[in-house]
Amino acid sequence: MLNEWFFLPRARLHRCARILMVCMALATSGVGTPPTDAGSAESPVTLSTGVVPTMGINEGTEGTLLFRTDQAGRFTPAPVLKTDVHIAVTGTIARATVRQEFTNPSTRKGDWLEGIYVFPLPETAAVDHLRMHVGERIIEGQIKERAEAKKVYEQAKQQGQRTSLLDQERPNIFTTSVANIGPGEHITIEIEYQETVRYDDEQFHLRFPMAVGQRYIPGTPVIIEGQVPTGSGTMLDTDRVPDASRITPPIQSPRYGSINPLSLSLTLHPGFPIDKVESSFHPIISIPDAEGGYHVTLRADAVPADRDFQLSWHPVARTEPIATVFTEQKNGQTYAMLMLAPPTQHDEKAPRVPRDLTFIIDTSGSMAGPSIDQAKRALAAALPRLSMQDRFNIIQFNHTVRSLFAGPQPVTTTTIKQAIHYTERLSADGGTEVLPALRQALKSPQESARLQQIILLTDGQVGNEEELFELLHQRVGTRRLFTIGIGSTPNSHLMRKAAEFGRGTFTYIGKVEEVEQKLERLFRKLERPVLTDVSVDQAGWSGLEQYPARIADLYEGEPIVLAMKADALPSHATLHGQVGSRPWSLPVSLNQTATQGGLSVYWAWQKISSLMDEATKEGRAEVTKTSVIEVALAHHLVSQYTSLVAVDVTPARPTDVPGTEPGQTTNLANMQLSALPKTATGWQLQLLLGLSALVLAALVRRLRNEVA
Amino acid sequence: MTGTWHRSRPVVWLIASLLAIGLWQVWEGSWMYAKAGLAQLLLQRAWTRSLEGEAMPKPWPWADTWPIARLRMPRLSVDLIVLAGAHGRTLAFGPGHVGSSALPGQTGTMMLAGHRDTHFQFLQELQPDDRLEIVGMDGTTRRYRVTERQVMDSQRDSIATSDERAELILVTCFPFDAITTGGPLRFVVRADAIPQADRS
Repeated sequence: MLNEWFFLPRARLHRCARILMVCMALATSGVGTPPTDAGSAESPVTLSTGVVPTMGINEGTEGTLLFRTDQAGRFTPAPVLKTDVHIAVTGTIARATVRQEFTNPSTRKGDWLEGIYVFPLPETAAVDHLRMHVGERIIEGQIKERAEAKKVYEQAKQQGQRTSLLDQERPNIFTTSVANIGPGEHITIEIEYQETVRYDDEQFHLRFPMAVGQRYIPGTPVIIEGQVPTGSGTMLDTDRVPDASRITPPIQSPRYGSINPLSLSLTLHPGFPIDKVESSFHPIISIPDAEGGYHVTLRADAVPADRDFQLSWHPVARTEPIATVFTEQKNGQTYAMLMLAPPTQHDEKAPRVPRDLTFIIDTSGSMAGPSIDQAKRALAAALPRLSMQDRFNIIQFNHTVRSLFAGPQPVTTTTIKQAIHYTERLSADGGTEVLPALRQALKSPQESARLQQIILLTDGQVGNEEELFELLHQRVGTRRLFTIGIGSTPNSHLMRKAAEFGRGTFTYIGKVEEVEQKLERLFRKLERPVLTDVSVDQAGWSGLEQYPARIADLYEGEPIVLAMKADALPSHATLHGQVGSRPWSLPVSLNQTATQGGLSVYWAWQKISSLMDEATKEGRAEVTKTSVIEVALAHHLVSQYTSLVAVDVTPARPTDVPGTEPGQTTNLANMQLSALPKTATGWQLQLLLGLSALVLAALVRRLRNEVA
Repeated sequence: MTGTWHRSRPVVWLIASLLAIGLWQVWEGSWMYAKAGLAQLLLQRAWTRSLEGEAMPKPWPWADTWPIARLRMPRLSVDLIVLAGAHGRTLAFGPGHVGSSALPGQTGTMMLAGHRDTHFQFLQELQPDDRLEIVGMDGTTRRYRVTERQVMDSQRDSIATSDERAELILVTCFPFDAITTGGPLRFVVRADAIPQADRS
């Protein structure tokens, strides 16, 4: 055998290679691991003991709706649920009315159902109306504090009254519960919400989520409510356990699939001339109206709700920024939305502002892996795009601060080469000390002729709030601060506030996979400033409350939108700003403006968002809650602390028919598991790999010695 | 072709690099494991300081976390210092407290995450009715009884939390003996607080 090896070195090499491969395969496949390991993205029912994936059962039949029964594994088919949608777009506000019809398909006497419908809405959606249609009657939902609304709902449910409750589970997940739907009965629930339209790539986009994918519902909150009791019962929200009779709460899957017919109509008043209206996935008919708007309907009367509806409209090309104002009078107050849109075409003649770019990048241990790699790639792509009049610097920090240059350096081939080399060598290790890095960045002198942008990227908890703001207060001056937070830990509130203070933006990157793409987008945006130092002439306004409080710069591809509330408006306002070093101003008429609904809601929503930022601050939670409830109640808004509840006072279910069990109320909330970090170090894999490499080294060496 | 391959430079290089890779990986792996144990020693000291009244004592000068509770499980002789924040950086040193959940002493769900191959390895041995203890920064101990263990898929499931019940949730990766990291499954242990009066 040995002789054979001796004379057939090639075979021996093959043998070596085989051993190596076996070792590698062993290491990567995981010795002694059950077959359902890491790699399998979809892990089916069997493993999730106590958790039954919502629609895992019917995945094959594409979105069939099921009512769960009390017997595990048995389902009643759900009724066809009809959805009507009307959307009105004003400027960048889209106001949507969604009507959903709930039906109890059962013909058995006494089958009173409770429907729980989980649906996704865009992150920026503000829900302010809930109407319940029972026969001819319409019951308008009342806004109440969340716990109180729930109590009202529960009480009505016990008393056999038809009732409906709209809760916000998370910023983009809402649930509608409808109790006491009699056998064969229909109940229509109408909700109204509004959201802001997205602007990028020089066009506006509106998306109405129809097909629900991972994007909107990363988890499935339904599971918890409809789960078959496992005995322990702690996961169960017992007050939602069905009546003692046979049926558990019918669960309407968010993937309401192709059997759910949907009709949609839309009116569009963008506030500026537009070129064309396009729908990405559905054929539409769009008819222009007299006021420069459009009326849009789907070409088909009803479509299966199997893909999102997406509409885009392009503003007519122009080279100057334009401002549009919409106003609304409500309860003696004037609400206004001021939109300043950048030019759609790059004006080559416009003076280019020289920029000073300072990248502050977190290279602490937790950035290791995809975060740092993607940040490096985005940075390496952005560096060569700097122009000759720009200057730049790169600062990295972990427990120490390292700066590539002492201060921003002019762009030359040498410095860029140096920077790219420096970027390539960035590696993540150690702790996080943000303050010294920021201090270093703020050391270089301010220059009013240049646009000084500081980009701070971190995935850590930025503590020591007071010290940070004191530093910003003293040193930030005319510099702009853009903050980027990666992962689940960043102190969003603090970073958002810091960016607002520095007249920049805060970018939150929840998924590590998105780091490169989001950074790339931000870097590109920062290259094209149109207007800086934007301000609104304050003369003539009284009692003005405006969000955001400090106005950011105008960049190509992104409008500035201000939500304002005032006791009185002047007839004209003037916008001021700087194009490069040249002053710019634009008069805006305020009494000729189109009056539109929904602006007060928009303002209130902005106010709530800004208040919610405060909630994370220590000791502020209670104060925030009170202020949020105050604003939400005044503006009829569903929030984390308020819900809409509608009760039909006429009892529907005879009280001798078994009602729901009085359950203990637990305040249900959900924690996304995916928000938690990976909880394995993998030291065993490393040990195994290391040992296999050592064994191999010994093997190869022995072979060599034998040969010699 | 015959008999000379073994003297060639590539073979020497192969041996050298295999040695280097091997030593490096062995070092990294053992260091990671050792760090998990060593850090707990330093943390115990910081914990004592925190009981003495120091706010947010840093266990080492450049640390960006601090102990906030002590997790004990008498049956398996587990005694761990829980750190503020559950992210990669803290978890290397000890179990982390999920920032959005309740703090020790508060009502509501308290959630801790830990590495399945270091600190939270003991979770696989937990049985229903096992007792766990959380010592808060004020020195008070709250006892919990394990009620439920389940495997969840982090890509699709969420955990119901409450702000009224006093309960403890421990989360770690699953399966416990997987060699590779980064799988989507999580092992979730739920424990209910035992009322103070009932010290059975």
